[in-house]
Amino acid sequence: MLFPTLDFLLFFLVVAAAMALLDRRFTAKKAMLVGASYFFYAQWDWRFCFLLATSTAISYAAGLLLGRTRRERSRRLVLAAGVSLHLFILGVFKYLDFLTLSANRLAHLLGLEHELPFVEILLPVGISFFTFHGISYVTDVYRRDVAVCRAPLDMALYMSFFPQLIAGPIVRAAYFLPQLARPSDQPIPIAGALLLILGGMVKKVIVANYLATGLVDPVFAAPDNYGGPDLLLATYGYAVQIYCDFSGYTDIAIAIAALCGFRFPRNFNQPYRAARLREFWQRWHISLSTWLRDYLYKPLGGSRHGRLNTYRNLMITMLLGGIWHGAAWKFVMWGALHGGGLAVERMCQPWLGQRPASPLGRAVSWFVVFHFVCFAWIFFRAEDFTVAGIFIAGLGAGWSAGVQQAQPAMVALIAIGMAGQFLPPGSFERAGRALQQVPYWGLGAATGIALAAINALGPEGIAPFIYFRF
Amino acid sequence: MRQSTLTRRERAPLVTDAIPPALRRRGGTQRQVFAACLAGTLMVALFASRDTPGWTEHLGDAPLVHRLRDALAAWDEAMERTGLARPHAILRAAMQRVLDWQWSGDAD
Repeated sequence: MLFPTLDFLLFFLVVAAAMALLDRRFTAKKAMLVGASYFFYAQWDWRFCFLLATSTAISYAAGLLLGRTRRERSRRLVLAAGVSLHLFILGVFKYLDFLTLSANRLAHLLGLEHELPFVEILLPVGISFFTFHGISYVTDVYRRDVAVCRAPLDMALYMSFFPQLIAGPIVRAAYFLPQLARPSDQPIPIAGALLLILGGMVKKVIVANYLATGLVDPVFAAPDNYGGPDLLLATYGYAVQIYCDFSGYTDIAIAIAALCGFRFPRNFNQPYRAARLREFWQRWHISLSTWLRDYLYKPLGGSRHGRLNTYRNLMITMLLGGIWHGAAWKFVMWGALHGGGLAVERMCQPWLGQRPASPLGRAVSWFVVFHFVCFAWIFFRAEDFTVAGIFIAGLGAGWSAGVQQAQPAMVALIAIGMAGQFLPPGSFERAGRALQQVPYWGLGAATGIALAAINALGPEGIAPFIYFRF
Repeated sequence: MRQSTLTRRERAPLVTDAIPPALRRRGGTQRQVFAACLAGTLMVALFASRDTPGWTEHLGDAPLVHRLRDALAAWDEAMERTGLARPHAILRAAMQRVLDWQWSGDAD
């Protein structure tokens, strides 16, 4: 059940009706939301609901044990067991066949004939996200950053809440669990939420989907059939597509959570306007980058133990961040590029400074960072290293042949996607304030008409969100 | 059901809220959310009727689905008669023209 579908609209209408009925009964509302979330998840494969429940039980039990245990050594053991169990589930369902394939290739290179059998497990949608939720909860309880959650219903809702279940944002326990302790006394920001839904729908249904079908997919499928201009514009196209696809999903998720009465953190902040790679990671998939910083980079030592250790920690963090995206070496390469880029940027910091001093310096720095990010996206999007190699080699050739695929509509979509990166800060807030004057039923009706228009403007059928695979 | 006790750090926001606090000062209740959703769904039913019969294709082949498909097709015909299906057709045709533009000036 994808967000931009009639199925989801009807599903949410039922959920909204139930929330209206249960408005003053907070526990019943939470129980209903858990039921709705499991129903939502079961639309992909009902068997994986047991996996989600297991992951929830592990987190809940580990939290209770950590709450009861006083000895530091025992607490460390509980933490290790909780995190290991989460990682074991993730490893089996996401990485087992990848490890088997890699071991078989290595054996082949070494001249060994025996091959390990593949298990061929179907990847459960959203497993990377709810695993990270579980790990962050157990770790935060161990660090005493969050109180032990003694209410199983709260833990179940934290792990399964349907807006963030499939592709995030990764919501920390310390941010979400307090919202479950008592009903919010703040009004529901209907205008802001509906604006986010419309923005997310435009990004996904129009910009991302047309760029995918009209430019990116055909060019990445056979890069040797295209010249340099098409390849370059397909690279820009993919940068805009993945941003619009993922941030569009996140916008809708944030809005749906808001309409349910809950707050979600910001996950994107115009990432392609970054003038430093570090700044890019402060703006792109913020919930993942801060998760990696707090649960991986800092425990590794962060920047506390000298330059070489800092570079090593950056590299390890980004390599693991890369493999988190998918069980393939191309994602490791993408992570390695970003890890290496961050290390080099830190190395050059004494000469470059924290941020560019002049407008020209900022423009040059932006150009370099944006193209570095685009270059790394080639590995992320390409089917494998061979295709990525053909693609990169082709970027320097065939410039006299003109364009085949990157026709005006595609270039316009890239321009629109990039223009959104440079909107003045506060634009969303200003638009939301203006809409607050409209009565709620008028807002709903206007949103319905706008959704019908977006549906008419978009291609037929909705491609799955890119981050569903992760 | 027992509820978790909050630590000081929990109460403090760790990250920026996606919807700014200024937009949270005015808003609605869950009932108003439902009313807004209902109004929106009604508008989708009126103006996006063209896509609803196709939507039933993934629901399977049960007799109930056949009846639903027939009902949605009848609804779409009614919307066409009233002229409410026209904006959908106009927008789709306009988008197709935009997509067909070529650098050479020709359309596909």
